[in-house]
Amino acid sequence: MSSLNARLLISVSVLLMFFFGVTIVVLDTAFRSAGEQAQADILDGHLMAILAAAEATDAGGLELPPDLQEPRFGTIGSGLYAELRGDQGEAVWRSRSALGIDIPAGEQPNSGVRLFLNEILADGTPVLTLSLAVQWELPDGNYRPFVFKVAESLDSFNAQIAQFRRQLFGWFAAVALIMLLSISVLLRQLLRPLRRIENEIGEIEQGERASLSGQFPTELTGVARNMNVLINSERARSDRYRVTLDNLAHSLKTPLAAMRALLNQGGSEEFADRYNEQIDRMDEIVRYQLRKPASSQAESLVRTLIPVKQEVARLVEGLKKVYHEKHPAIETKIDDEMRFRGDSGDFLEIAGNLLDNACKWCDRRIRMTVCPSSGDKSDGGMALVVADDGPGIPAEAADELLQRGTRLDESTPGHGIGLAVVKEIAESYGGKLEIAQSDLGGAEFRVTIPAS
Amino acid sequence: MRLLVIEDDATLRESLAAKLAEGGFAVEQAADGKEGLYYALEYPIDLAIVDLGLPEMSGLEIIREAREKGKTFPILILTARDRWEDKVDGLDAGADDYVVKPFHVEEVTARVNALLRRSGGWASSVMTAGPVKLDMSRQELTVNEAAIELTSFEYKIIEYLMVRAGQVISKTELTERLYDQDFERDSNVIEVFIGRLRKKMDPDNTINPIETLRGRGYRFALERGPSG
Repeated sequence: MSSLNARLLISVSVLLMFFFGVTIVVLDTAFRSAGEQAQADILDGHLMAILAAAEATDAGGLELPPDLQEPRFGTIGSGLYAELRGDQGEAVWRSRSALGIDIPAGEQPNSGVRLFLNEILADGTPVLTLSLAVQWELPDGNYRPFVFKVAESLDSFNAQIAQFRRQLFGWFAAVALIMLLSISVLLRQLLRPLRRIENEIGEIEQGERASLSGQFPTELTGVARNMNVLINSERARSDRYRVTLDNLAHSLKTPLAAMRALLNQGGSEEFADRYNEQIDRMDEIVRYQLRKPASSQAESLVRTLIPVKQEVARLVEGLKKVYHEKHPAIETKIDDEMRFRGDSGDFLEIAGNLLDNACKWCDRRIRMTVCPSSGDKSDGGMALVVADDGPGIPAEAADELLQRGTRLDESTPGHGIGLAVVKEIAESYGGKLEIAQSDLGGAEFRVTIPAS
Repeated sequence: MRLLVIEDDATLRESLAAKLAEGGFAVEQAADGKEGLYYALEYPIDLAIVDLGLPEMSGLEIIREAREKGKTFPILILTARDRWEDKVDGLDAGADDYVVKPFHVEEVTARVNALLRRSGGWASSVMTAGPVKLDMSRQELTVNEAAIELTSFEYKIIEYLMVRAGQVISKTELTERLYDQDFERDSNVIEVFIGRLRKKMDPDNTINPIETLRGRGYRFALERGPSG
């Protein structure tokens, strides 16, 4: 029940069922009672006709003509019956249609009162009966009680009701179905903006989009706006963090550089060496602390897709300038479509440190390959390998290098810190750094970052 | 050669400038980005040292602007952040090398010399042309393995000419690039120094290292050695 769509559809169908159920019951009841009323009126009419046709005989009884006005009384099994009973309950007269049919005597009505009853014939046919007790004035001036009774079979009435119900259910089922269908279509339409927001947030997380498009219905513009504010403030926060670090680095390192320059101008050599050592330590601490991965600050909302090939090309161009005199041959094997999902600074830090180390240590050749860590080029996973033809790193030294992030060789400063930073960034993305022997003869550094 | 140092920290800038002047360079100093860009565009500069974090105008903007205006002198950036993002941005904008603070001043002078040589088309730290050898890091000139004693101004001239070996350098250019102050720029002074240099380097008139092109200037005429 997590989908709004399903929730709405289920609650709407429950409501519909309840509403239609009540309507069906009300309609059915109304139709039935109207039908019954009509039936009773007809029966009353028949009774009146019989009363009018009855004539007293000299013998002190009542007599009816053989052919009544209503032909159904004359047809056997027509479903309309009439009989006349005396005060002892004895049958005085029965219509021809009642031949072979036993109309139950039923309850005796009080004089002058019409009594309607639902009764059942011997053969099981339900009938509606109307009895009327009258005091009939005989020719001799005496009054004698008679009971007139007419009965009509309810078979056709019931069949009509059943037909009506069938139609009622049929129509309501059809209407309910159409309503549910149109509601679900409508919901799809109404929920489309929500689905779009969901898709766009997904794209933002994938780094394919910078912010929500902002073209949403009134009810959602607030949500979209706040979402954008959140994203922007997240970005601003990470930018601010970087600017703060920049300023901090600048304001700490410029005085350190100035101190160094001053030491150079005067004072004894021993004095200068000791101070320089302290400056080195301070510098190292500042560098290490300030080069922590940006990704721990940058949540998934601020990650972007970085075009690996272009970034590496920029890096290689830069390094070619810096190592102009050494002139290493840097070969890169990177697919045009290769993307890294994360912070561009983090990517440059990984690639830059590894390539810079390779430039320092290589004899002539460097090879860099970047490929997806899984089959998909754009899922953000990455396997980055930098190999060189330098002296290489023995296995024990490699372990030590990876574990402690210390400098392996004091004469080439920054080797250790660079690797420690690469390792830390790789780990912050859930990946790892490995050192092996390259087929070019030197060291091979492999950073694997899984798709997120 | 005339260098430009753009750095907002006065102590650092001044001691760097002092050290570079010691190394035989004329040095212009700028304390903020706008002033720095003005010097870069309007002065005859051979190399600029640009701090990335500057007031008024960032180092990156200065580099971009200077390159856009067609300035081709080498640029060395000083950066406090040693994130690769900053270095790559700087190199991408047109810088040629970087030094991360806190640097040793010697590191800067070494990079400056390397960049100057590179801009003249020299790959090695020692420039050789025929029997003439100039070691920029030691400020040492030898002809046929014999060291030549030079005054600082003589050294500046031969260094400038040799870095640009094969190119014609006008007297005006030499005065502009080599004098530190705007004192009387008398082109006769240059002629005098060139004459002294010729005497010191080529007392017997056998190698003719410096050619005079009448009305145009001077040219270091010897073929570049294998290292160049």
